[in-house]
Amino acid sequence: MKSLQTKKTHVLGAALFAAAMALPLSDAAFAEAAPERGIVAFKYLNYQDSQPVYTDRIGVNAYTVSVMAPIAGKWSISTSYTYDSVTGASPYYHDFVEPEMISGASPIREQRYAGDLSLTRYLPQGSVTVGSSYSEENDYISRGYSAQVSISTEDKNTTFTLGGSYNTDTINSSNSIAHDREKRTVAGAFGITQVLTKQDIVQLNLGYSKGRGYFDDPYKSNDLRPDRRESKTVMTRWNHHFDAIDGTSHLSYRYYTDSFGIKAHTFGLEYLQSLPHDWTVTPSVRFYSQTAADFYLPVDPEDPGRENYFFDLFMAGTPFGILSMDQRLSSFGALTLGIKIEKRIAKDWIVDLKFENYEQRAGWSMTGGGDPGLKPFSASFVQFGLSREF
Amino acid sequence: MKKNVLLKSVYALLLMMLALSGCSIGPAVQPWEKETLARPEMTFEGDPLDNKYTEHIYSSKEAASGGSGVGGGGCGCN
Repeated sequence: MKSLQTKKTHVLGAALFAAAMALPLSDAAFAEAAPERGIVAFKYLNYQDSQPVYTDRIGVNAYTVSVMAPIAGKWSISTSYTYDSVTGASPYYHDFVEPEMISGASPIREQRYAGDLSLTRYLPQGSVTVGSSYSEENDYISRGYSAQVSISTEDKNTTFTLGGSYNTDTINSSNSIAHDREKRTVAGAFGITQVLTKQDIVQLNLGYSKGRGYFDDPYKSNDLRPDRRESKTVMTRWNHHFDAIDGTSHLSYRYYTDSFGIKAHTFGLEYLQSLPHDWTVTPSVRFYSQTAADFYLPVDPEDPGRENYFFDLFMAGTPFGILSMDQRLSSFGALTLGIKIEKRIAKDWIVDLKFENYEQRAGWSMTGGGDPGLKPFSASFVQFGLSREF
Repeated sequence: MKKNVLLKSVYALLLMMLALSGCSIGPAVQPWEKETLARPEMTFEGDPLDNKYTEHIYSSKEAASGGSGVGGGGCGCN
C-alpha cells in the first residue's frame, strides 16, 4: 500500500480540495467537529454472478480492514486496506463465455490489493481533506489523489462541499492486447447539504468527470471505444426520521449522462428500523436503468459474435470503427433487493450482515431499446462486518 | 447541447440554493433541537465499507458510476 505522497500532496494542497473514501464525515452537516472516537472495522464480501446456461460466472471474495482515528481534537486520519480474489469467466462478447473458461481449463483467477489514506483538518466552520488511493492487480494499476473542502453557515444548517480528484491507471492485459496503456481521469464534485426540519435533511450533489486514454476492454472481441469519456451526474438524497417508531428512511435519486451516449437513472430507498436490544434491520430496494452506448453492437442470433459482420467489413476494406459488444453498454434495467441486520454488542462493537440480490434485464429498461438477444444477468452479494469504536 | 445541460444544471442549483438555504420548511432548526439530526443514521455517509463494496460492484456491472463525491480508485473489473 502506498502512503500519501508528499510531492503530490504539495501539488494538491494549494487547491484546498479534499475528499476521502473511508472518512466517515464528509457528508454530515456538522462535520466541522473532529470525531471524538476512532473506529476499527473489518468487512468481508462474497459476490457471485450468473447467467442462464452458465450457473456461475464471476465469484469474488473481498476482505477490507479500515481504521479512522481522531488526532489532537482538530485532525483525523483514515486508512483502509483491501484484498480481493476473483475467479470465474467473463464473456468474450455479449453473454458468450468460451467453453474452456466454463470447464475450468483456463479460468480467471485474479488477486487485487488496494489501499487508501486520507487526512482531515477541522476548522471552526468547515474542514479540509486530502486523500490518496492505490490499487494493483496483475493487469491493472490505479492511483488516485483527491481533495475536498467543506464550509458551513453560521447556524450549521447548510454545508457546501467542493472536491476534486485525479486518477491515473495503467493497463497491461494478460492476453497482451493492451500493453502499457494509460487512462487519466480528472473529476470534480459540488454538494449542498441542508437541514430542513428536526427530522429532515437533504443533499444535492453535482459531479463532472473527464477521462482520456484507454477505455477498451482488451478481453472482449473486437472492442474499440473512444479515447475519451466525459460524464455528468446530478444526485439528490433525503433522510427522514420517524420519531414515533424510531425509524429512518433514506431516499436517493441519481441522473447520469456521458459522452458514450449513456443516460442512466438510479433510484434508491432503504428503511432503518431500530429494534429492542440494539438490533437494527434495514430492508432496501434499488432500481437502475440505462440506455445503450452509441457504439453498442447488439446480438444477431444468426451471426454469433458478429463474425460475418466483421468479415464483410474486412473484405470491403472498411475500418471496424468504434464499437463494443459489451453487455454492460447495452440498454437494461436492474433491480436490487436487500436486507441488512446490525447488532450493537457491549457498547463498542457492531456486527452486521447484509444480503442483496441483483437482477438485470434488457426488457426492464425505462427507455426501452433493450437488446432482446441478451440473457438475463443475476448476482448475489453477502457482506459480513465487525467494527469497534475506541 | 452541452451548454444547455450545463445551464439547466446551474439553474437547478440556484433554485435549490434559494429554496433551501433561505427559510427552509418553517423556522431554522436551532442547535439544541438537533438531537435527531445528530444520529449516525441521519448522516449521508452511511457504512463506508458497505458503500465502497456496493459502488465497486455497480460500477463493474453497469455503465454509470459516481455521484456522491470524489475519491476512490479504479480497477480492471470484469
